[in-house]
Amino acid sequence: MNRMLLVAFREFLENVRTKGFWLSILMMPIVLALLGFVPVLVENTRTAKNFAVVDETGVVLDTVRKEISVRDFQYLLTDFATGQENLLPDFLAALFPQIRSLNKMERQSIIEFLFRDGELHDGLTSSLTSQLQQHRRAIIDWWAELSDEERAGFSDNISANYFRMIETSDLDRLNKMIESEELFAYFTIGRNIIENINDAEYVSNNLTDRDLEIWFGELVSQYVRDQRLARSNIDAETADWIGEAIAFEGITLGGDGEAEEVDSTDIARQWAPVAFVYFLWISVMINTQMLITNTIEEKSNKLVEVLLSSVSAISLMGGKIIGIAATGLTIIIAWLTMVLAFFTGLPMLAGLELPIDLSSVMADPWFLGSFIIYFLLGYLFYAALLVGLGSLCNNQKEAQNLIMPVQLIQMVPIFLMIPIGRDPNGTLAQVLSYIPPLTPFVMMNRAAGTPSTHEYITTTILLLVSIVVAFWLAAKIFRVGILMTGKPPGVKEIFRLLRAPVTRAT
Amino acid sequence: MNSIEFESVNKFFGTHHAVSDMSFRVPEGSVYGFLGPNGAGKTSTIRMIMSILYPDSGRLRVLGDDQPERVKDRLGYLPEEKGLYKKMKVKEIVTYFGTLKGMSRRDASRQTERLLQQFGLEDAAGKRCEELSKGMGQKVQILSTLMHDPALVILDEPFSGLDPINVELVREVILDLKRQGKTVIFSTHIMEQAEQICDSILLINKGQKLIDGRISEVKGQFSSTLLIDYEGDPGALKQPGVIRVNNMGNSAELSIEEDCDTRALLKALMDAVKLNSFILKEPSLHEIFIRTVREPQA
Repeated sequence: MNRMLLVAFREFLENVRTKGFWLSILMMPIVLALLGFVPVLVENTRTAKNFAVVDETGVVLDTVRKEISVRDFQYLLTDFATGQENLLPDFLAALFPQIRSLNKMERQSIIEFLFRDGELHDGLTSSLTSQLQQHRRAIIDWWAELSDEERAGFSDNISANYFRMIETSDLDRLNKMIESEELFAYFTIGRNIIENINDAEYVSNNLTDRDLEIWFGELVSQYVRDQRLARSNIDAETADWIGEAIAFEGITLGGDGEAEEVDSTDIARQWAPVAFVYFLWISVMINTQMLITNTIEEKSNKLVEVLLSSVSAISLMGGKIIGIAATGLTIIIAWLTMVLAFFTGLPMLAGLELPIDLSSVMADPWFLGSFIIYFLLGYLFYAALLVGLGSLCNNQKEAQNLIMPVQLIQMVPIFLMIPIGRDPNGTLAQVLSYIPPLTPFVMMNRAAGTPSTHEYITTTILLLVSIVVAFWLAAKIFRVGILMTGKPPGVKEIFRLLRAPVTRAT
Repeated sequence: MNSIEFESVNKFFGTHHAVSDMSFRVPEGSVYGFLGPNGAGKTSTIRMIMSILYPDSGRLRVLGDDQPERVKDRLGYLPEEKGLYKKMKVKEIVTYFGTLKGMSRRDASRQTERLLQQFGLEDAAGKRCEELSKGMGQKVQILSTLMHDPALVILDEPFSGLDPINVELVREVILDLKRQGKTVIFSTHIMEQAEQICDSILLINKGQKLIDGRISEVKGQFSSTLLIDYEGDPGALKQPGVIRVNNMGNSAELSIEEDCDTRALLKALMDAVKLNSFILKEPSLHEIFIRTVREPQA
């Protein structure tokens, strides 16, 4: 045992000194940084798409344009940041401190008052009410005269950030502009759009990016709907009431059987195991690969026999497996620490509030504990298989061929990740849990659905037994394989090795 | 006292009979040669001594213990195929090999310093093994083998691939160990080397022992040979009384019958070729090997 630890410690030291080790550790913050910044970067670098509308009715476009303007004004009211008041005319800037404290309904009433001749909400202070009444005209005129550029600056949600309308209805010209990519798309709205909703076209060379089509389509649909309601003498309120969609409220049962509301953190909880499975898989892959590389290197460096004159083959094999497990654990613990720091420390430092409380999910001791245990078990199982096969090979190329079947099995959990995440306690997930090579990944995947204690116990026992068997088989191959030179043996020869009796235990 | 005793040891690899009914004794304090062509079973025999392999049948005792793995720490082994961890520093790797033999870290570290100095490698202590020249690498491997002051040192083909300077170094090491009273076993397929250093030998071919014992005794069992330097027709060397001619161009080794009349043979040879020298001596190990392989003794 003592010698085994000496081998393990040397293995650990050697790995820790490699560039690969530090790269693996640093990979995590880089991945996290990318996760954080790429979407922001993509969002910031995207340019607004130009589009045009050919309106044969002569009325739809005006109404839609007005609706766009009103919606954008709504975003001005909700999103306008403090400190930018100099962008606003004085009479509006003075109102913003009060507007910010309004609730949704009160704010909506300002929109209704300004643009749709509605009433201001009773909850507004009298000063705000009188100010709004006094400056109504000025506010409307000011807003109408702003350019797209100026509006876009007020809030990221304002449509001018994404889509800009160009005033042309000459089809030839529009087609040319699309060809020259000056224009992303144009819409034609037919004369009979209200009677026939198919009397509309969307022309673009890019039919995969559907953001514009969906956004504009919804605006026109609303117009058509309003017109149809009016013709049928149904007032808008009745129509809304009829059209209301049912929103089921998500409830889960807590540990004590109490009903609990589902919030976004619960959803994150549901999917967090998938992220853990992915890291688990990467960790097991990296570490077993490292083990094979080291074994083959030792063999091709002709060190094996020197080592075997001091330690038994089993101690050598065990030492290598332990040494690399220690390396892997170090990397994983560094990763987990960084993930935790990222999700708890960073938001606090930057004063950001994450939309969902990820830190509580990531720091869940149940997830962390099972992650580390399943890493060790999964690693040990594959390490035994691969070190046995690896010991037969003299170079990476030979190893690649020989371990292919094992690596194919290693791939399976990746394909299962999403289906199991969706239905963590389904029959598929339950059955797969009992297949030892898949157990660590599948059980980690199911962690959110919380498999029963009995499942945890039986699958773990099964896995442990498989690990012992794998080690026993690996030892048989390793003792002979590690001294073999020349072409690695075929399947038949490997089975002969496995059947051969072990002359002496050590 | 014998350092090693083999009694009817057999080792199979599949159907291949690698070592067959092997029996021999290595006396303590001797320099012992395992001789035989490549594939004769020398390395398998050594691996059984080192308990890297286990015999399928028969008994073997190493340093008086019939379970060789128990005395592993008192054995030093330099395999034919040897290497170093490329990324490790010289001092680290030698110390590591010491600890693998059961030395404490402190003792191993101290002993490493002493040996590096003795071998003139103190400047290389901080170098990585990949930076060493081939000769320095071999020195490091040898001193790693001697780190733990083993009672029995086994060197598998220690001279193969060495330049003359390193051959001399290894020879010095072997003789030095002998002076210290250690037992040294080395294997080689080059008979001349064994003849120069060994006290006793074991001659193996195809897994079987051909002959063993002290060199002088072994040689005594065989009739003398005739070494000649000559110019002329090699075909004319096969005179009556000559069993076999081992022709080397300008010289030849002639095996002669035990009751051969050497005077008559000398005359005959002088008539047949131009003879420059004529020495009657005991047979070389090479000659003995060829004789035993060709005419197996009863």
